[in-house]
Amino acid sequence: MTIADVLLSILWLALIIYTVTGGADFGGGMLELFAFGESGPRQSALIDESIDPVWESNHVWLIFLLVVFFTAFPPAFAAINVVLFIPLMLAVIGIVLRGSAFAFKMHGIIRRSQNVRILSRIFSVASAMTPFFLALAAASIASGHVQIQNTSQIVTNIGSDWFTPFTVTIGAMALTLCVTIAAIYMTVEATAKGDTELVEAFRRRGLIAVALTAALGLLGLILAPSEAAFLWNGLLDKAIPVVIVTMLVGVAAAAALWFRRYRWARVLIVAEAAFLLLSWGVSQYPYIIPPDVTAVNASSPQETQVFLLVGIIIALIIVVPSLWFLFYVFKLKKVTDVGAVAVKNPAE
Amino acid sequence: MSNLIAARVQMGNSLAFHIIFVVLAMGMPLMLCIAEGLALWRKDPVWMLLARRWSKAVALIFIIGAVSGTVISFELGLLWPTYINYTGAIVGPLFAIEGIFFFVEAIFVGIYLYGWDRLSPRVHWICSFPIWISGIFAALIIVTVNSWMNTPAGFEVQNGKLTGINSFQAIFNAAQPYEVVHMILASFVGIGFGVATVYAIAILRGKRDEYHRKAMLLGLTLGLVSIPLQMIAGDAIARSLETQQPVKLASMEAVYNTSKDVPLHLMGIPNVPQQSWYTNGLVIPDGLSLLVGFSPNTTVEGLNAVPANDRPSDPLIVIIHIAFDLMVLFGTFMMLVAFVFWIIFFVRRGKIPEYGWLLWGIILCGPMAFIAVECGWVVTEEGRQPWVIYNFLRTSDAVTTAPYLNFTFGVFTITYILMSIILIVLLLRLARQPLPKMEWATVTAVNPAEPSTV
Repeated sequence: MTIADVLLSILWLALIIYTVTGGADFGGGMLELFAFGESGPRQSALIDESIDPVWESNHVWLIFLLVVFFTAFPPAFAAINVVLFIPLMLAVIGIVLRGSAFAFKMHGIIRRSQNVRILSRIFSVASAMTPFFLALAAASIASGHVQIQNTSQIVTNIGSDWFTPFTVTIGAMALTLCVTIAAIYMTVEATAKGDTELVEAFRRRGLIAVALTAALGLLGLILAPSEAAFLWNGLLDKAIPVVIVTMLVGVAAAAALWFRRYRWARVLIVAEAAFLLLSWGVSQYPYIIPPDVTAVNASSPQETQVFLLVGIIIALIIVVPSLWFLFYVFKLKKVTDVGAVAVKNPAE
Repeated sequence: MSNLIAARVQMGNSLAFHIIFVVLAMGMPLMLCIAEGLALWRKDPVWMLLARRWSKAVALIFIIGAVSGTVISFELGLLWPTYINYTGAIVGPLFAIEGIFFFVEAIFVGIYLYGWDRLSPRVHWICSFPIWISGIFAALIIVTVNSWMNTPAGFEVQNGKLTGINSFQAIFNAAQPYEVVHMILASFVGIGFGVATVYAIAILRGKRDEYHRKAMLLGLTLGLVSIPLQMIAGDAIARSLETQQPVKLASMEAVYNTSKDVPLHLMGIPNVPQQSWYTNGLVIPDGLSLLVGFSPNTTVEGLNAVPANDRPSDPLIVIIHIAFDLMVLFGTFMMLVAFVFWIIFFVRRGKIPEYGWLLWGIILCGPMAFIAVECGWVVTEEGRQPWVIYNFLRTSDAVTTAPYLNFTFGVFTITYILMSIILIVLLLRLARQPLPKMEWATVTAVNPAEPSTV
């Protein structure tokens, strides 16, 4: 196992973590689009409240992914940025819109409820934009359509390479997966609040989303042999066990949700996302951009990779306890001092 | 618009926008830390209210800063794929380390802003330290990358391949210490005078109470400590340019020919195509020579020492000179105001001077500090052109070949303008909220994590 392999594994791990943390935030934003019914306003409020303290650190994983990618495998990163310029720019626009809309909605003094609604809609729609285009970009790389022979003359084009039935299917699947993850997390949050009506609302949405995810996943598998031959062959060669586990875990997650075992569902959906991304990784290894760029021929100089690896290890020593503290304070610790919260300042 | 211009303007907009939030996000947590510390120490409701009010503003500012920073990390690759190809391979790990500090910052901002009612006061206060400390380190590392672009080191190119990577040399490149110190001090100057400005306006409008006075005093204290240090750092950085980046220095003062006895043209406007000056401004004979080498005999390298296509274009030189002069002018003004304030403060034995003219001076300092930050950044970036990595990679070779740059440039410009307007409106609304009674119990019931209502 080379350093490049280690870094590639770290990238994949970060991708998995980003999906189950940042992905849940995107899913939460989308869930607010479906926050109708009598409990609708309460659904939105609980989603906002759950996202607010953690979303910035969740999204640092994306920055982490970017910087580790361009440090470890610079030519591959550069090529992807040129070829997939359009979908990636659209993902970035989504990031700007959703982040600022959320900040303004949650922390600004907005006088008109109509303006709050506009900001909420921007937040929700932009929450769909970013994961859709990121997944679409990933799918077009995986399908082997991004071909790089000569790195100095890469151009992008509208459609053809990255806008195919397969990539759109995967983009859509990313959306339903994010919604599933968010809905399952929210069942746990709502249970902690003791609001059974909300728990049921999120359970229903979660079940619909998990069914759609399964359907889109199957559609992806049907399209793969013709649309994404490279991925399909890799999958048949190496990844069949992982794919089978992915399917079983998915079924188990849905079952846990159905039987109202929400904490189990939360663990299982995290595992589901992990196995799903793992099956992609295993199918594609050792290629970063199949069929031309591998982890080895895109590696940055050895010295740089060693330095990066040392940096990441030191980082984890600092970041992991801090992250644990963050999630402990907001997701695990019970607020005992309710009195302090209940006394509202009349001037506010 | 050509790809190069569109990409440069889009990147420039993103950075000009983000740098303001860098200053705010580095400085405000320090202010929070001091205010909350004083509040707990003295059981002072005024400081406590300031900390809680500020933390509401920080919640908004930090999110917009994080978003605009994420955009930049994408744009590095999307707009400048060739640049990131080299930079990633040589100083890429620095971005990763910066990411770590930003991670810590984001985590503790979350804990701090939303943890007022979930942590004991002391633990809560302690959680403010990692925010500003990691903020400073994050800025330190990003500025290190920028200094490496100005004075690249720690690598060799053989047959088009990068070899001999020495990360240590790359990090501690020649310009690194100067730039890092200058940027961190700039942040403290900006936040110090920025805060002072906000409360000076309130005091001028008749809100002469303890709340506004304490806030202004804290801001001015930070400003006063930082601005003289900043002037010294600025002087050192200008002098270092003569050996490290002579073309930048020549552009800053529009020195055309290498010579001795080079004057300074304060606020003059250079006529670069004619190699002369439209208006001379205030000429200080031998000024630049003295500044650089403490002697009129010091030789300063001129723009003509390098071929025209290896130095900033003519219009850029005009911009660089004006930006440099504005920065120096504003710095001097801030220093003057701070000194006058503190002299009167001590002569009057600790009574805060509230003369209208002095308050007006303070009010001007805040915007000036931020304009000076932008000017300094213009000088260092435009002064390096046409290179993105000095004497190694041209900006025109680094830009992407992807189409539709004009379109994304348009979208981003409109989005950033709208974001700025909304943010300013919302911050003003926060500032105008009525003050509660200054009692410990009332003040500590203000929960910054609650979405604000009217």
